Parts: sequence; C-alpha cells; structure tokens
Amino acid sequence: MSANGKWEAVIGLEVHCQVRTATKMFCGCANQYGDSPNTHVCPVCLGLPGSLPVPNEEAIRKTILTGLMLGCRIAPVARFDRKNYFYPDMPKNYQISQYDDPLCAGGSVGLDLFQFPKELQETEEAQARRKIRLVRIHLEEDVAKSFHFEERSGIDFNRAGTPLMEIVTEADLRTPGEAFAFLGSLRQILWAGGVSDADMEKGQLRCDVNVSVRPAGESKFGTKVELKNLNSISGVRRALVHEIARQIAVVEKGGSLVQETRRWDDNAGATFTMRTKEQAHDYRYFPDPDLLPVRTDRGLQDTAKKSVPELPSEMQERLVRDFGVTAYQASVLTADRVLCGYYEKAAAATKNKAAVANWILNDFLSTQPDPATTPVKPEYFAELADLVVAGKINSAQGKKVFAELVANPTSPHDLVKKLGLEQISDTGALATMCDEAIAANPRSVEDYRAGKMNAINALKGFVMKKSQGKANPVQIDEILKQKLGG
Amino acid sequence: MSLAHETIASLRRRLAKKEIKSRDIVTDLLKEIDAREKTIHAYTHIDREAALRSADQADLSRPLGGIPIALKDNLNATGDPCTCSSKILEGYKSPYDATAVARLRQAGAVFLGRTNMDEFAMGSSTENSALGVTRNPWDSSRIPGGSSGGSAAAVAGRIALAALGSDTGGSIRQPAALCGCVGLKPTYGRISRFGLVAFASSLDQIGPLTRTVEDSALLLSSLCGHDPRDNTTDSRPAESFLAEPTNSVKGLKVGLPKEYFIPGMDGETEQAVRAAADWFRKNGAEIKEVSLPLTPSAIAVYYILATAEASANLARFDGVRYGRRAADPKDVLDLYQRTREEGFGPEVKRRIILGTFVLSAGYTDAYYRKAQKVRGLIRQDFEKAFQDCDLLLTPTSPEPAFQLGERTQDPLKMYLADVFTISVNLAGTCGISLPCGFTKSNLPIGLQLIGPRFGEEKMLQAAHAYEQSHDFWKRMPPS
Amino acid sequence: MSAPKLNVSDVATLARLALTKEETEKFTAQLGQVLGHMEALSKIPTDNVPEVHPPDHPVLRKDVPSPSLSVEAALSNAPAQANDLIVVPKIVE
Repeated sequence: MSANGKWEAVIGLEVHCQVRTATKMFCGCANQYGDSPNTHVCPVCLGLPGSLPVPNEEAIRKTILTGLMLGCRIAPVARFDRKNYFYPDMPKNYQISQYDDPLCAGGSVGLDLFQFPKELQETEEAQARRKIRLVRIHLEEDVAKSFHFEERSGIDFNRAGTPLMEIVTEADLRTPGEAFAFLGSLRQILWAGGVSDADMEKGQLRCDVNVSVRPAGESKFGTKVELKNLNSISGVRRALVHEIARQIAVVEKGGSLVQETRRWDDNAGATFTMRTKEQAHDYRYFPDPDLLPVRTDRGLQDTAKKSVPELPSEMQERLVRDFGVTAYQASVLTADRVLCGYYEKAAAATKNKAAVANWILNDFLSTQPDPATTPVKPEYFAELADLVVAGKINSAQGKKVFAELVANPTSPHDLVKKLGLEQISDTGALATMCDEAIAANPRSVEDYRAGKMNAINALKGFVMKKSQGKANPVQIDEILKQKLGG
Repeated sequence: MSLAHETIASLRRRLAKKEIKSRDIVTDLLKEIDAREKTIHAYTHIDREAALRSADQADLSRPLGGIPIALKDNLNATGDPCTCSSKILEGYKSPYDATAVARLRQAGAVFLGRTNMDEFAMGSSTENSALGVTRNPWDSSRIPGGSSGGSAAAVAGRIALAALGSDTGGSIRQPAALCGCVGLKPTYGRISRFGLVAFASSLDQIGPLTRTVEDSALLLSSLCGHDPRDNTTDSRPAESFLAEPTNSVKGLKVGLPKEYFIPGMDGETEQAVRAAADWFRKNGAEIKEVSLPLTPSAIAVYYILATAEASANLARFDGVRYGRRAADPKDVLDLYQRTREEGFGPEVKRRIILGTFVLSAGYTDAYYRKAQKVRGLIRQDFEKAFQDCDLLLTPTSPEPAFQLGERTQDPLKMYLADVFTISVNLAGTCGISLPCGFTKSNLPIGLQLIGPRFGEEKMLQAAHAYEQSHDFWKRMPPS
Repeated sequence: MSAPKLNVSDVATLARLALTKEETEKFTAQLGQVLGHMEALSKIPTDNVPEVHPPDHPVLRKDVPSPSLSVEAALSNAPAQANDLIVVPKIVE
C-alpha cells in the first residue's frame, strides 16, 4: 500500500533458476560456471546443423523435486515445446521450453519472516507470513552469455543449454519487501533440496517482475509493466520501489500507463522503456518434434519423492518446538544445514539446548568457523552450557573458557581446571569474603541501608575481585543481602 | 566389365575372395565419373585422394568393408563440407559425424563424395540446388527427381555404387523412381537422424539408394538401430534384413489403395504398376482393393507441418556461428536479414514464409493444430489398411521424369507431384521404390511398396522377389 | 478457416528475411494459391483423433558428462571471432 493508502501495488514474479546438474539440459557438456569461453560446447548446444537434443534425467528429477517441495501438482506426462525468436545468444533461434504441459502446476511459497529486510521484520507485512501462490514451474534451456564492447558483442556458449527452471507466481505479492522476502524464502528451499545454488551474482537465479497499481480495494488489475535486468534481490526491491512510485505518479495525475517492458538501471536508479506490447514477440510455440513426451509416473516422481528434504519452515518450527531456540535463531540454523547439523549434535548431548544455541550462534559463529571441519567438537558446547547452568562457573568465566576452547579445542571440564576457574560456591568461603567486603566498604553499606540498592554492586565487585572472578555471583548477592539485612 | 556396374553384394563376395581390391572399385568409379559426371552433375564434392586412401585402409572383414558410398550433402561427416546445396552453408566444415555416417564408417565403408540435392531437401527435382542442377542419366534434358536427385542419378548413372539420401515427403523414393534405381525410406525412428541437417523433424528419415533391393537391405542393416543421441529413434537395436531371401510372395496380402489409381494419371505409369500387381497375383499373392480416404488431404497436411517444422529448423542459419555471413552488417538485425536473404534460394524462402505463417498468432489453430489432427487420421487410415494387408502397392510418382525448367514457376504443381509418397512420411511407415518398367521413350517407372511401421523385412522380401523375377534392375542408361 | 490473410511482409519480418519487393509480390501470389489448396482441411471432422501415447521405455539421458568440442573446433566455422568469443555487431537491447 502506498504511503497515503490510496494505491495498492500488484506484483508477480518470473524467476529463472539454474538447476544444479553435472551436464546441460539437452547434451552432455559440463554445466559449469566461470571457465574459459566456449570450452563447454558441442554440436547440440552450439546449434550446429544436424544436432539433436536429448533431455537430462537429473534436471527433470530436480524440477519435480522442486515442485514437490512447493506443493505443486506434477504432470504425469510432460512435453517440450519450441519457443521461436531470433537473438544472438540463441544457438538455434528457438528455445526448447515448455508451454502447454509444464512439469509442475500450482503450489506456493511461504514468506519467511526472517527473509524480509531487517527493518521490516517487525511490521504487520512480515509478521503475516503470507503464502504466495505459484502458477507453474517448467523446465527449459538457458541461453548463451554475451559480452558487450564498443562496437561489437562477443558470445560465449558455455551457458547455452544449461537447465533452467522457470517459476511463475500469481500476482499475489503486494510490496517490494514481500518480493524481497519471496526470493530469499525461495532460495532457502532450493538450497534445502540441493536443487540450485541460486546465486544471483553468477546468474543462477534471475528474476523478472510484473507490476501494476490500482486504487486500494479495487479488484480489477491496472496496466501491467514488466521489469527486466534485475541483478540482485535488493535490486528487485529497489526497482519495485521506484517503479511503483513512478506508476502512482502517472495515474494520480490522471495519466495512463503503457503496457510495456522496462529495463531497470541500477546506477541511474530508474526504469526505461525496452519494448511495447505491439513490439512483443510472437513466439509461435509448437511441440518440439525432436523430443518424445516424458512420463513422470514411471519412476521419476518416486525417485524425486525420496529426496524431499525437511523444508526450512518445517525445520524452523521443529527447532523452536523441540530445542527451545528463538525464531530468529531457528532461521539462522535453517539457512545453514551444516551448522544446523553441528548444533543438533551439540544439543543432543545436553538438556540445555537453548543455552547451547546461544553459545554456538552468538559466540562461536563470530569466529567464522567451518562447522564441517572445525576441531571444536559440538559436544564441547554442551559441556560448556551445562557448566554455566549448573553454576560451576559463572558466565564471565564461561566466556574465558570459550576463548580458550576456540584456541585449544579440548573438553571444557579440562579447560576449567587448567584455567583454575572453578567457581567458588562454598557458602562458607563466600560468607567469609562477603564479611570482608562489608568491613572494607562502610560507605557502600550505609548507602545500601539508606535505600540505594545499587550500592551493593561495589560490595559484589569487591568479592569478585577478591575471588579472582570465581565467586558465584548469584550466591554472593543472596549472602550480601542477607547480611545487610535488606 | 567395370566394377562400377556391379552390385555391392557381388563386390563384397569378390573382395572376400581377394579377386579385387577396394582401390580397384574406387578407380573404376572414378573412371565412370570422369566419363559422365560432367553431364549428370550428381556430385557437389569428390575427394579422390581421400577415397583412395580410405580404400587402401579399408577393413574388409566388416559388412561393408571396402565399399565406396556417396553421401547426400546434408549428412555431417567430420572434416567434410555439408552445404545442403545452399549458399548459406558455403565453406562450412563439419566437426562431427552423423550417426549414420559413423555406422557406415564402422561397417568399413569408404566415402567417395557428396551428392547434389534440392536446397535443404526442399524440392522434388533438384532444380532448387544453389550448386547447379543434376540431370537424369536416362535423358539429360530431364530432372532426376528430388530432393535426393544427386544420389539417385549417381547410382542410376553408374557413377556411384550406392548413396545415402534423405526422405521427408518422398525425396528418396521419387528420385529413385525417376532414375530407375532402388530407394528405401525406413520406418520413422528406424535410422538415427543425428547429424542429418533437419528439414522436418517428424518426417525426415535417412535411407539408401542402391542398384538392387539386396544392396538396400545390406545398407539398412548397418544403419539401423537405437541411437541415444536421437530421442526419436525406436528402442529396437540394430537388426539384419533379407538375411535369408524367400524369393516368394505366396500368401502375401497386397492392397491397392484406390485413391492412388486416379483418372488422368500417366497411362504408361498405370500400366506398368498394374502389371506389377498382376505379377504378384500370378505368383500367389492376394490382391485386394483398399481405401486410404484421406489421401487427397495429405499434401495440405504435409505442407503445413513440414514447413512449420522447417521454419524453426532453419532459423539457426543466421550467419552468427557458422556458414556465410552478409558483408559489413550494420547491426544484428541487418546481419540476420541480409545473410538469410542472400543465402537462401526462393523455394526455401517460400517454405519458411509459409511455415512461419501457419504457426503465427491467430493462425496456429486453424492450420498447424488442424493439420496435426488430420495427420493422426491419416496414420489411422494406414493402420486400418494394414489390418487386412501385409503390404500396399502403388506407383511411386504419378508420372515419369519431366523436363528441366517445366515446373519451376509453379510451386503448387510441383507440390502436387508428391501425392503418392507423402502419406507414408505422415504415417511414419516404411516404403520402397524399385523399377517396374520403362516408358516408350526409355524413362524409368517406379513401383512403390509400402509396409507397416517396422515392417521392412516383409517389404524387402517382396521387393526382392519381384525385382529378381524381372530384368529392369539390370538395364543401364545410355552412355 | 476464413480466407487466409497472409501478409508476406509481416511474416518475412518474423522470419528475419529481407525480401525484395518482387519476391514479396511473387510469394504472395504463389503462397496464396497453396493456402487456397489447404482450405479443404477445415471440412474434415477431427473430434475423435486418437492420441499417440508416449512410450513407456526411458528416453532420457543420464547426467554424466561427455566430451565437448575443443575451442578450435567449436569456433572453426565462426565467421568472426575474437578472444575465443563469437563476434557479432553490438547487441543493443
């Protein structure tokens, strides 16, 4: 909703996501990013005369898996169609895609609260955790990559033929923040399934946006504008913020919008006309006669079902429910399955699962460890948490042990002994030190008895210093208060 | 007698007995080429040295060891040109072998040269070649047929032992009929299309043009079988054909589709084909009249579907990655438009326009989707006919070879000449053309036998039996 | 199917063919004839056309790499190349 609440934005996304496979969609060339130009090409992906496509089974399986993760209906028979248009990055000047019979239909993506920009996470918009419906997911081949110079362009066909999933949403999104959250939430799911690395910088995840505005409460759609050249998730948000404002400005003045495709220029911070509806392509779709229809109900769906992982939302719920971590902590863990595995191992060794989470996420994570290879065993954190909760060491001491643990990974029990940090909990010894504190700080005692409650801190400080930090702070607090009679 | 006049089967026997060497065959063929190729112009490229070298290295233990074979110029062979008789592929050299070519290589074959064709296989007379016309060896003022006109003329003219061609609407069978040799279109999915420059993907098939049915079966046996590089090949592995000729047509049920014997058809053709039917009957086959009621719509269906697929298949010829590029293009659009305008001949342009139109917004339902449905009915027609028959017997062409230049200004008339061959491609079944007579002016007449899908063995048996009971296959064109 | 409205010029644009005026006129006449011949298809009833069923046997490719062309072979037919890229006039969005 716009600031004055008069206008509402209606947003749909078309997300292209490269599928993680060893080979390309229709040939056996390596599906690899970043190598020297034209080193992964063959007659098929170069579009040489006489070449023919043969579909990659793994790409189909991973697309079905994606559909299962997102709650889609999987087509029992999937077909490929030719989408015809001329462009230098198109080896055949038609793209093999799916039109009438996509692999997946329907489904939805839930917006993860923690995938909203930080500053929006408290808002109603984020808290609503809306589900964004999908129209379809289909499989196609990616185009080549062009590099532009002053008067010429150069084309690298390594990327041509990479398997690409196109995920189309219904026009359910209402704000740039939601679009931002959608992409982050989708990415989490794709990572969970091992379907794609979805790195926008590497072109593995690309997004086109359809956006229109209408008076708040209106059900008819306004004129739709397509936005292209969005190169990052935050870029999508910036482009939408700008374009929605642009559209509202036009219609508020009584003007009308053109149905068109506009190009986002991140540097200029604005969108520019690319082509109008009249100039839009006539793709002349027809079923690709080189490819037989694919039956998914003869084993492909079953194989895919076996790989459906615990979804991020399911995992987050489970972590909060069974481990007592906060929702935010659950989102951090879900985003990194290896880290989560590490945590779960630690948590398995103790009742203090939430405390362990704090140690790992607040302290350990800031040392930028690799949870897969670190010599710091997860069980050590269970020990450490147990020590502090049981009162054997106080939290300040705990931090000391932690620092030592990272430097010299070994059992915290041993470290406590090594550092001589056993907390003094012996009531008698503590009482003696409290007496000494009271004797040494008459002014503070007076102040405390006069009603200044904070004066006790000086006495506590004295005891902590005397005990070299080993005194149990909770106990000395009790003992002092008792002795001071208040 | 020149080795160029013998059959592959007989030459293989002589090679095995060490009576001759492969080099001898190539040498004799080259002599014939020197004598007659100038007139016939069947070839677009001949590499004499490479052929002789291959001959010397040929592995005679293989099924086609030492046998020189010509390739239609739309089949990729590593290091060779692949012009498709088009200017747009001038200078192109293939970096890979078509599966069919690789299989012939594996079978020990020697490649002698590449044959002329209608540009991108679009045509029925080889007059649409950008590399000059090919002439019928029986009468050099006449067409050899098309689009595999070069292959047929070379085989018939004794300047090739055998050649590969491609058949989309009759392009192997019709030139075989007009030139008086044997031309086989296998069942769709029988031979891999990987490496065949595509015209119409759901219709194209590679096939052999040979002197005899036995030779045709030899080549088919080496070519056929599932190919993982072509998704449309059948799962059947390679098999051997005509291994044991029965030389009998007793008990065979042969159907004559009434729609293929129309009033006004060429009298001599009708006579020769009916005589063939009589031979079958006299030798124990049962002749039945059948009906393929959708025959009159086949041409329309074909020209909608084939041109639609072709318009997409030929989009890749754009001057970007290979082939001819227009000089000094001012931008990408100019590069595309001028490259294609200059590179394609008129028939190719016509078909691209037609194909693009029938797929374009607003017309795709009326034309493309409708044609697909009618194609399904045509397929059904054939399936019904084969419930009562083993084979169908028809003329291959409604008339013998016409004059060069006679139809070039009348595309529709040219298209209508495909009427007897086209339905076989639409139905995806197999068909073979073999000589069954000559006109008074010594022009060949072709008989077509049509089999059900994957019914090549029965079809080849019947064709062989008929062929060997007649002398037509032995007749040679005037020197 | 009403009388086909074939605009050869528009279709040529879609197909990236820069036809001459003569070609456009000639093709309009010739293809008009061909399309006329196709009118008859609309009268054929096609409501009960049998569907061709896809085969049950697997027709897919295992995700195992096979050799690519060398860069030299890949670019061997390129009309223009530089730094292992295929070169075209500047592509403008």
